[in-house]
Amino acid sequence: MIYKILDKEDYNDFLKKLVENYDFYGPVKKDAAVHDFQKINDVEKIDVDFKRTTVAPAKKLIYPPEETILSYDISDDIEIRSEVQADEKILFGIDACDVNGLAFLDKFFSDEFVDDFYFQKRNKLIIIGLDRMPTETNFSLSLGKEYAREGFDIFLTDLKDRYFVRIGTEKGNNLINKYAKTRDASENDFADYDGYMDNYRKSFKAKADISNFYDNFEIIYDNDKFWSKTAKDCFSCGSCCLVCPTCFCFNVRDDMEINLKKGNKIREWDSCMIPDYGLVAGGHNFRKDKENRLKQRYRCKLKTFVQKFDTYACVGCGRCIETCMAKINIVDDINSVKKEVSV
Amino acid sequence: MHTIYTPDIARITRIETVTTNEKIFDISFIEKEAQKKFNFLPGQFVELTVFGVGEAPFSITSNPNNKEKFQLCIRSVGSVSQAIHNLKEGAKVGIRGPFGKGTFPYEAAKGHNVLVVAGGLGLAPLMSFLTYMFDYREEYKNIMIIYGAVNPGNILYKNEISYWSSREDVKVCVTVDNPDDKWTGEIGVCTKLIPRVDFKPEDTYTIVCGPPVMYKYVVQELEKKNFTDDKIFLSLERRMECGVGKCNHCHIGNKLACVDGPVFSLWEIRDLKEAI
Repeated sequence: MIYKILDKEDYNDFLKKLVENYDFYGPVKKDAAVHDFQKINDVEKIDVDFKRTTVAPAKKLIYPPEETILSYDISDDIEIRSEVQADEKILFGIDACDVNGLAFLDKFFSDEFVDDFYFQKRNKLIIIGLDRMPTETNFSLSLGKEYAREGFDIFLTDLKDRYFVRIGTEKGNNLINKYAKTRDASENDFADYDGYMDNYRKSFKAKADISNFYDNFEIIYDNDKFWSKTAKDCFSCGSCCLVCPTCFCFNVRDDMEINLKKGNKIREWDSCMIPDYGLVAGGHNFRKDKENRLKQRYRCKLKTFVQKFDTYACVGCGRCIETCMAKINIVDDINSVKKEVSV
Repeated sequence: MHTIYTPDIARITRIETVTTNEKIFDISFIEKEAQKKFNFLPGQFVELTVFGVGEAPFSITSNPNNKEKFQLCIRSVGSVSQAIHNLKEGAKVGIRGPFGKGTFPYEAAKGHNVLVVAGGLGLAPLMSFLTYMFDYREEYKNIMIIYGAVNPGNILYKNEISYWSSREDVKVCVTVDNPDDKWTGEIGVCTKLIPRVDFKPEDTYTIVCGPPVMYKYVVQELEKKNFTDDKIFLSLERRMECGVGKCNHCHIGNKLACVDGPVFSLWEIRDLKEAI
């Protein structure tokens, strides 16, 4: 890690140069309540001052909601073609949670079988993170995901009159050297950064007691009363998965063109909360009740990958809490598991 | 670009209609290279694409020692399986695989008794194991096959069953739920026949494959006879879109049926409450 300081007066100039020279994506205000990561042509459009999280997670740039994974032509002989369109992009302004979300997906999509569609784009994505005070629903501190140690090229922390710059990769270093006027971080800068991080960690309002969840989950798993209460209002709409920075499930469908000669295999995001997620041919549904689907979601987020990768598959960003129409709250539910078991 | 989602093109070389609902398809790859590198183990599956319709997972049902082609026994029940039933000999399909690390315990079971419990179409995936086992018959001790079908018309692999029945070194019990006038065999579900098994539990590997509802009851019967977790193997069906652990529809607790299975020992899934 290389540490630098970027003065406030040089910050805009840095971003402007990046917007001019790169395919640049950053947070944009869509309406009063919603920010989204979009392509930026004018540096003035960047708006990092948002109270809620961006609705769509940053993963959409490299793992889009819909993507063609195979094209074929069956006119004469069967011809198949697989291509990935990937250009260099800068993604600016994602917070530590989202950086950690992408770092999780990096692990997931390279586990055993490497997903080229993800990595061709991921390898060309330059990530410039930006520290942000936690939103009300952000509980990343409880999961140890509030701080991004890796998974970014550059990470900025706003120290009022200057930015504390952490450079994580050679790519990031080259960008800084080429486009930013920086200086080395001094002891004083480190002290201010330390103060910022302490204050940041003290600012978390949402707290989940995840201690012993790994084991507690097994005893709560069979508690039907608990789950019928917890999942009672779930509409099985899958919104929680659509906004999640770490959800990875997808369906594959074949779409034929109107001539019925050319077709595409398209993968699209799916959600484990949707009733037909576990449906197999013949009509058997392995998870036909919403209670079981919510159990699956919580297990996947908070247990499965603790075993597999020694990490939660949840970064605590709070998007699902903000988005759920039924007001299902993962923080409350984690705490309820703890309460139920420890009583 | 060849990705984990790119199929190899293969040809259906022969189609055999087995019942009103099931057909057996012989498949071999167009490219010799693809055929050469396609080495599967008993219990593995492929993802088959009917172009224009979709892709679905199917267990390989043929003998792994046959390197020229492989077989799938497919029931017409979903969109892809219906589409493949409509294909003719010579038609081309896409194949990815073989997939699955969890295979039938063809090695571990050597030197032991083998009890095979099949329900309905569950006999099909087991054929890869059974045919392999008969290639090396002398390496296994006693073999017993229990097979339950809904009615006599649904019985698969009739030739193989009568061949096994004619052999001295294997015991075959076939039972049907709904007998017709001509049926002289056993009646009822296959779990009913388990109490008759006289193998020593500690020296017996049990392999089970059938509809999802069957497993719990088979395991109950096996446990009554003191068969142990580590020697009971179950092939679990789940929805699988990718076969490579990415789409995640086949999650069973902390495991994935596609990469960790589809065959698991009972011990491996003992703590996964939604497994059986």
